[in-house]
Amino acid sequence: MIELQGVTRIFPNGVRALNNINLTINPGDFVFLVGPSGAGKSTFLRMLFREDTPTEGKILVDGKDITQMPESRVPYLRRNLGIVLQDFQLLKRRTVAENVAFGLRVIGASAAEISNRVQEALEQVGLSHKRRMFPTELSGGEQQRVCIARAIVNNPLILITDEPTGNLDPMISQEIMQLFLEINARGTTIVMATHNHNLVNKLRKRVVALVDGQIIKDEICGTYAYE
Amino acid sequence: MSLANLSFFVNEAGTNMKRSAMMAFITIATIGIALVMMGAFLLTTMNIESFLEQMQAEALVTAYLKQGFAITDAKTLSLRLTSLPEIEDIEVVTPEQAARELFSSPDDQQLLKIGISQESNPLPTTLRIRIKSGNQLESLLQKLKGEPMIDNISYGEDLFQQFHGMSQLLWLISLIIVIMLGLASLFIVYNTVRLTLFMRREEIVIMKLVGATNWFVRGPFLVEGFIQGLVGSVLAILILFAAYKFMLAKLVELIPFFTANVGFDQLFKLSVKLLMMGLVLGISGSLLSLRDISKFSKSTPEGV
Repeated sequence: MIELQGVTRIFPNGVRALNNINLTINPGDFVFLVGPSGAGKSTFLRMLFREDTPTEGKILVDGKDITQMPESRVPYLRRNLGIVLQDFQLLKRRTVAENVAFGLRVIGASAAEISNRVQEALEQVGLSHKRRMFPTELSGGEQQRVCIARAIVNNPLILITDEPTGNLDPMISQEIMQLFLEINARGTTIVMATHNHNLVNKLRKRVVALVDGQIIKDEICGTYAYE
Repeated sequence: MSLANLSFFVNEAGTNMKRSAMMAFITIATIGIALVMMGAFLLTTMNIESFLEQMQAEALVTAYLKQGFAITDAKTLSLRLTSLPEIEDIEVVTPEQAARELFSSPDDQQLLKIGISQESNPLPTTLRIRIKSGNQLESLLQKLKGEPMIDNISYGEDLFQQFHGMSQLLWLISLIIVIMLGLASLFIVYNTVRLTLFMRREEIVIMKLVGATNWFVRGPFLVEGFIQGLVGSVLAILILFAAYKFMLAKLVELIPFFTANVGFDQLFKLSVKLLMMGLVLGISGSLLSLRDISKFSKSTPEGV
């Protein structure tokens, strides 16, 4: 599903954010990306949705080398991906339903299709009763669930998420994680960068640890520890 | 572009204009003021030009016939020439008539009177031609030159040259002014769109994250530019014509023999031009601001 071949990213200021990364993620995998701040986790994720490109190496997503992809094709790549970031990135002046619908609007879906799929996605995250509310009227956990609904409304092949529980308390984090597990169970590949020891240790999924831009650990039923 | 996309763009454009009403107002006002000024210059130029044309048309073209033709030949020629589209009317002046006119004219013609008498009259038979419009002069001259009976033509060449030069200068000046005003308003429109773009940066980032193409992101802004251009130019046309009507009424009061020279069809053409200019300004201002949309729609700056 995702394959990184000798991926290196050197920033213009000389910082080597990623150093010769080789990694294969199979369809249906649930991968935790762990490591200290500044280890290159976010850069790694940004490469996957072509927000950034490597200085060297190749990244294959669903068999296609996205590093060589022309800029005009990037939107079509992203329509097959769901992206959930730490800061909720919701449009404050739009309702919950409108925020979720946004992902369908931009691909020109019909009104009927939008309505059905938004309803489905909101039911999945348990927020269909709050569809007419505005993000500011929701709790942090609910806002994150709206983001997840927006990410899955397109039935993406891969869900990429950077610290989705970073701003949430442990109880809510667990609920959010449960949602990701359900999404994964339906076949969506999930790549999640996190600092949440407890959740990683509890779930025992594949764990890839990045330190100073290099993979120092890749365990199938891993734990958080990387030192 | 699908219908769903278009209705989304129009909705978005409407919501955005409501949200940043001040920005929309500035853009519309800029386009409107620029177009009123452009329109005023164009109207003035059109009026002056048509006045000049009228003066040209009122000037007479005099064709002197060669000696040796009978007056009936001159009349036949004049009848034939009357059918030319350039000619308003034509009058045959016999040598006797010309002599009579000469004798009755003031003192400065005294010298000419010498040598002219009943017995010997060297004055040629002439055709006095009134043309329909100043700009038909050239083609008429060409046709008259081809007539074997005509010896010489006079039409106040210097005056025509001066008129021609003046109207060319007028057009050049108004062209420069129109271009300068156009550029200035384009710059203001560009900047206001740029500002709204930065205000909506977050929205654009999210649109790009969920897979919107650059053209999709641009869509609502372009519709906004179109609407603002349209509203700005319609307002400008209304203001301009109200002011024009008012000015004409005042001028008629001040100068009793003044008549408006610019017809309805010309005003209509001017309105269409202003409308086009408004749309071009609105859309191109937006397009210019949006040309590097992919650059500033990254979720976080490079290297962070």
